Amino acid sequence: MIATLLSLLLRAVVVLAGTAVLTFALLWNAPGDPAQAIAMARFDALLTEDVIDQVREEVGLNANFWGAFVDWVGPLLVLDFGNSAVTGRPVWPDLWVSITYTFPLALAGLAIGLVISLPLAILATQHPGRLLDRFAVAIASLGTAIPAFWLGLLLILLFAVQLDWLPAMGARTPAHAILPALTLGLGVAASLTRIIRSGILEARGQQFLPALSRRGVSPKAIGRDHVAPHAAVPVVTVVGLELAFLLEGLVVVEVIFGRPGLGTFLTSAILDRDFPHVQAVVVLTALVFVSVNLIVDVIYRQIDPRIGERDA
Amino acid sequence: MRSVAVLGGAIFLFVLVGPFLAPHDPTAINIPERLSPPGEEFLLGTDALGRDILSRLLHGARWSLGLAFLVSLIGLIIGTVIGLVAALGGKLADWAVMRTTDTFLAFPEIVAAVVIAGLMGAGTWNLIFALSVTGWMRYARVARGIGLSLQSRGYVIQAKLAGLSPWYIARWHYLPSLLPSLTVVWTGMFARAILGISTLGFLGFGVQPPMPEWGTMLLDARIHMRSTPFQMIWPGLAVVTSVLAINLAGDALRDALADEGNHS
Repeated sequence: MIATLLSLLLRAVVVLAGTAVLTFALLWNAPGDPAQAIAMARFDALLTEDVIDQVREEVGLNANFWGAFVDWVGPLLVLDFGNSAVTGRPVWPDLWVSITYTFPLALAGLAIGLVISLPLAILATQHPGRLLDRFAVAIASLGTAIPAFWLGLLLILLFAVQLDWLPAMGARTPAHAILPALTLGLGVAASLTRIIRSGILEARGQQFLPALSRRGVSPKAIGRDHVAPHAAVPVVTVVGLELAFLLEGLVVVEVIFGRPGLGTFLTSAILDRDFPHVQAVVVLTALVFVSVNLIVDVIYRQIDPRIGERDA
Repeated sequence: MRSVAVLGGAIFLFVLVGPFLAPHDPTAINIPERLSPPGEEFLLGTDALGRDILSRLLHGARWSLGLAFLVSLIGLIIGTVIGLVAALGGKLADWAVMRTTDTFLAFPEIVAAVVIAGLMGAGTWNLIFALSVTGWMRYARVARGIGLSLQSRGYVIQAKLAGLSPWYIARWHYLPSLLPSLTVVWTGMFARAILGISTLGFLGFGVQPPMPEWGTMLLDARIHMRSTPFQMIWPGLAVVTSVLAINLAGDALRDALADEGNHS
């Protein structure tokens, strides 16, 4: 077990190192003169070559690739994200403020997704193929086909413009979070419903279930002790995918609803060519993503010990 | 297989013929007619610059569906080659390739595409690059997985003993077995590419105005949401319909393949 843990951990570290190189290569090769872009964003005036060169020196864009990479990755190892290339202020406090907006929204979206999908999938699989089941499948297929930004716009159109029940733009009151959370949650619900449903159906098809019921085990106990763990395997597998879905949705949702948060932070950093801001979000995303997948891998092996054996 | 063929044909036809059905020039600005409601002259109304929305939708298929097709095909080719290299290239190659794949999977695809396309500058080529670079990993995993399982098959072992080159084995012994599964993955990635292109277009990092890509159209439409909400309906509906159709075809194909597997 410890050996497996170590090898998984090593794998995660290798992947993180790879992401660092990739991120830096991207920033390094981004076209245009970043120094000029930064200088323009910072001074917003006619620029002389001197000023641009000064900025270049200051931001450390002068070295060769690997030299610059080492300079760049050193502080990141201790999670020091440096200063914004535009405002000159430290990245971390601003980033933290964004996280405080994004994290609750992500949790709310996930909660809405679970509250809808779990009962829907369980009820639908009571009678596979019947009306409710078909309805659940249809809604889930539709839900996964709707781009998050369009769903968000439609919700704004209905609840903010036509009915005038809820605010659409900004994040001043908790009511402002309802539509964004709903946009995220409905998307999550659609994909989770599909996955949980097929997980349950597959677990139901296992041959040992009739044997159990003939031995007199109650349907309730079968559901809890035998169907649920089997259905959990595919569900746990997609937690990583769900997280990706959530992060992608967050970027879009924050932009549509004009909420401060990681998504808005990232998009405005890209437009300003504020490289320290961009890299902070990218590194943070990779860190969260790799850690979650590492945890998923471990849990996965706990639920289904066969997986570890198959890998080896 | 038939459902995918029919769907592929329909999309191909639509992308090819659609623009010729357009009643107006999709980029012709016509200020006096701006934001007109749906009517006889403009079946779906006009946008803020007086451009015919129906014509833009029909032309937009070239961008939204055509680019998605291209991007998913590039991903298919890159991913298959990479996956086969991992399966055929020995332990070290396998390890290196799989860790590289994991690395590319360490970012949510669309977020990565936004960062890449955004930093490289908005434009169609950069969009294609960004979505291809972030879209090959699933193919690689599937190709590698099946490739590894083929290694112990008799005909593969015999081909190796006969001294055939790895390229020959990959082409004639691996690829035919890979294609059905890769096609299923491809339908999913095609649908994702449509969503990706429209999302990037909507965020302003994708196809640039005045080109009538569906996501870019929604970005325009959003500004006039209060006065002319109908503008926002059509491009979104076009995206949803395409994605839904492709996903359903993919599901049908997967079920058909599963059935085939059960019979043999």
